[in-house]
This record gives sequence, C-alpha cells and structure tokens, in this order.
Amino acid sequence: MSTSQDPLRPPRSTLPYDPRAEYRRRLGLLGSVGRSAIGTARSAAALLGTLGLAVASVGAPGAGARRIVRAVTLGQILFTGVQAVGLVSAIGLLIGATLVIQTSLMVPAADGDLLGKILVAVVLRELSPLITAIIVAGRSGTAIATELGNMKVHQEVLALVALGVDPPRFIVLPRLIATVLSVVALMVYFSVVAVLATALIANVVLGPSPVELRAGIARALLPYDLVLFVAKGVGLGAIVGWLACHYGLSVKSSPTEVPQKASAAVVRILLGCVAYDTALTALFYWLVARPLY
Amino acid sequence: MTALPALELEHASYRYGDLWVLRDLTLSLRAGETLVVTGENGVGKSTLLYVCAGLVPATGGRVRLMGRVPNPSRPSELVHHGVRRGFVFSGGGLLSNTSALGNVTLPLRYHADLFGMDEEAIEARARELLSELRVSQADFHALPAHLSAGVRRRVSLARALAVSPNFLFLDDPEADLDSATKRLVYELLERFRNDPEVTLVVATTSPELIERLGVPPRELAHGYLLGPGRSLSTLGPPAKC
Repeated sequence: MSTSQDPLRPPRSTLPYDPRAEYRRRLGLLGSVGRSAIGTARSAAALLGTLGLAVASVGAPGAGARRIVRAVTLGQILFTGVQAVGLVSAIGLLIGATLVIQTSLMVPAADGDLLGKILVAVVLRELSPLITAIIVAGRSGTAIATELGNMKVHQEVLALVALGVDPPRFIVLPRLIATVLSVVALMVYFSVVAVLATALIANVVLGPSPVELRAGIARALLPYDLVLFVAKGVGLGAIVGWLACHYGLSVKSSPTEVPQKASAAVVRILLGCVAYDTALTALFYWLVARPLY
Repeated sequence: MTALPALELEHASYRYGDLWVLRDLTLSLRAGETLVVTGENGVGKSTLLYVCAGLVPATGGRVRLMGRVPNPSRPSELVHHGVRRGFVFSGGGLLSNTSALGNVTLPLRYHADLFGMDEEAIEARARELLSELRVSQADFHALPAHLSAGVRRRVSLARALAVSPNFLFLDDPEADLDSATKRLVYELLERFRNDPEVTLVVATTSPELIERLGVPPRELAHGYLLGPGRSLSTLGPPAKC
C-alpha cells in the first residue's frame, strides 16, 4: 500500500480512523495562517488563469472554431446588450429626473452652465459607467454564473474537453467580449437617455433650454473624458464577464453550489466595479487632468 | 523498437479535497486494447475514466495519450496531434442548450478544417450516426431535456463516435437503458473491442456486459486497481493508514 502523495497532509481514509483531526490540532495558529495565505494565492492564480486563458485563445488557429465562437458571441451580445435596452432606458430616464429634482432643491436658479457641469461630473463620468455595469452584472452576471455552474454540475464542460473544444475559447471568450461591448454601448445609450431626460425636465422645472444645456455640457467636457469613458466601459465590462465566468466555472459538482457561486460572483463583481471606477477616477483627474473647477 | 503505449498512467493519483480516490495507479494499454473497470458504487470508476481520458489533471503522477500529456484547458492540442477521444458519460453530458443534432455536429464543426469537412458533410455525417443509433428524426432538433434517458444515451454515443475516435471511454454505458438500446450498445462495444485502432475503456457493474466483452475486468477498490481476476473479497482487511 503506497504512502500519501502529499507529506504535509495525511490521507483521509475511507476507514473509521481519521488522522486529520490530530493533524489539525498540531498545526497551530501560524500553520493555519500560512495555509490560508497559500489558499488565497492559489485562488488569485486561478482567477487570473481564467482571464489569461481566454485572452490567449483570441489568436488560436481553427476557422471552424472561430465561426462557432463568433456565433456564440453574437448570441451573448443579444442577451447582454440588446435585451437590456429597456431596463437601461427606464433607469436613465429616472436618473435624469432625479438629477433635476435635486438640483432644483439645492440651486433653484441653476442655469445651463451649472446643470451641464453636474451632468458631466455626475452622470457621464460616474453614474453612467457604474449603473450600467450594475445592470449588466445583475442581469447577465448572475445568468452567466448560473449557466456555467449548471454546465459544470451536468458534466457539460467535461464533455467539451472530451470533444477537443477548448472551454476558455468556447465558453469564456464570447461572454467576455459580449460584456465588454455591451457595457460600452449601453453606457453611451444610458448617457444619451439621461441627458435627454434632464434636458426635457429641466426646461420645465428650472428654466434652461436644451440649447443652453448642450452648451453647458460642451464647456464642461474635457479631452480626457472620452479616454476615461472608454477605459471605464472596457474595464467594467471585462470585470463583469471575467468574474461571472470564473465563479460559474468554479462550481464543483453539487447543484447547491450554483446559487452560492452566482451570489458570490455578483458581490465580487460589484466590489470590483466600484473599486475599478474609483481608481480610474482618481488616476485620471487627480494625477493626469487639470482641475475641474 | 516497441510502439508507444496508447494510454499510459504512471503513478497517477487523484483526490477530491482531502479524499484520495485514486492512489498510485500505473497501467499501460496498447492501441486496440480494452480495459474493463468494475467496483462498488462510489468507489471512483468515473473518476478513473476522467483521469485516463485526460478530462481532469491527475493530482499526482502522469497520464499520457499517444505519448502526449493532456491539457484540459487546451484539449484541441490533442486533436491536432491525432488523439481523438469519444466519451460517453453516465449522465449523458449533452449540452443542454443545444439540440441533439447540434451536439453531434459540434466537434466536427469546431475541427472542420482539421477533418476537412464542409457544413453539408458534417450535417450528413451527424444525421447518419443518429439514424444508425435509431434516434428518430423528430428528435434531431429537440433539446436534451425533451428527450428520454435512452435517447439521450444514443445521442451521447453518436457524439462520441462523430470524430471517429481512437480512444473510447464509456461510463456505465448500459445504465437506464431499455433492452433494445442495450443490445445496440453491446453490439457497438463488441465492434470496437475488435477494432485494432480503437483503445476502449469501459466502467461497468453489469455482469452481462462484462461477459459480452470477454475481457477480464479489473476491480477498483480503496483507490487501487486490482489485477485482472482479483477482487476485494479475496483480499484481507485493509491496513490502518
């Protein structure tokens, strides 16, 4: 009978005697901390691996594979992007209305200039990327994580491996591309809807005409805003697709893990998106761009 | 000069968390050989098949298929080197959002340039395989959830055979099947057992199938693969670890 493969961990036997209890007792606090650190490093490596393998498969050969990946990507764009337009429209309208209401309470005599600055600073630079990412995370992030988790449970991912179909290329890459493109496109759409809603309601409540508002927006925009807008869209979209795929594929074999991993995915996506958004804002406006006011 | 073994395990082990399911397995199969694995429920027969087929990386030791180490993240590399695997899972393993026909055509379309097949030829081959396995045309475009267990198993078989595999792995191939489908499966397995180009690995608890295959089974027990003809009941109680 051979000895255990890992000298640090005695085997868990199928017999009644279990040596692990004694092992844990002898490990101590330092050993537990060390083991926890190793586990965290492994998790981080696995997380980076999910993204790295998908990105590395972009230039992989195989015209047949490329055709299939393209078809899957289009399907994902339809679900993630196109089917979210209604929800984005509603929230964009409501955000525009809320902005006008709050501005009228604080500065009843707000003109097009002030309103334009508020629109650019609050909606275009911050709310548009974050709210779009949250919408996509809630709709598509959970759906992706759940779908992939179920694929793991039902051995569909193993089946793909057996067929010689690369899971990073067939599963992860299309969803990553779809979430990036969808978030960027939806951000643009959200911004347009919110600005239009603000223009219409502000004209009635506050006074500035749409023309005055447009001029105010143009004066408030900086050259760096376009770069920041795209950088936020691409980054936030990538975070949604990447983490949703990673946590979905981390399901082992139990169906009860699927909702747990989907929930974990959304929580981490939200945290990651807010952290990324804040970091990018700080980087561009405190370190790179001239002061706003 | 001796030919490379088709399937080789060198001190291969596998664990789920802290539970060692496979321990220090070493075996070698030539092309055309057949391995039949048996054992109690839950002993790790499916896991052994996954490790042999390279679907999961072994926790320890090494697995080689035609001299190549499989990479579950890049399984297409094996196909590019001439290793074509067919795997029939005990639960089917069909893609749930793809029709029966779509499941069978997927590997052919993914490797279309490698196999030199156009869309028409791929569809024709898939239809031919499904018909040969007596899947009704009405079921070709049905999703797996709308198919009975027996039909799902036939579709799974058709998908495994679509790539003209040189390795065929079958996990409990006769479970939940009606007698007609069982006969079909047995005939197919006998055909592949006699094929010198196909290395066959079957996990089963069916005495009838073991008898039909005519290959001495090897029992998997406590993570070890016992020799042909030996069983757990002939050994003494295992030593305390």
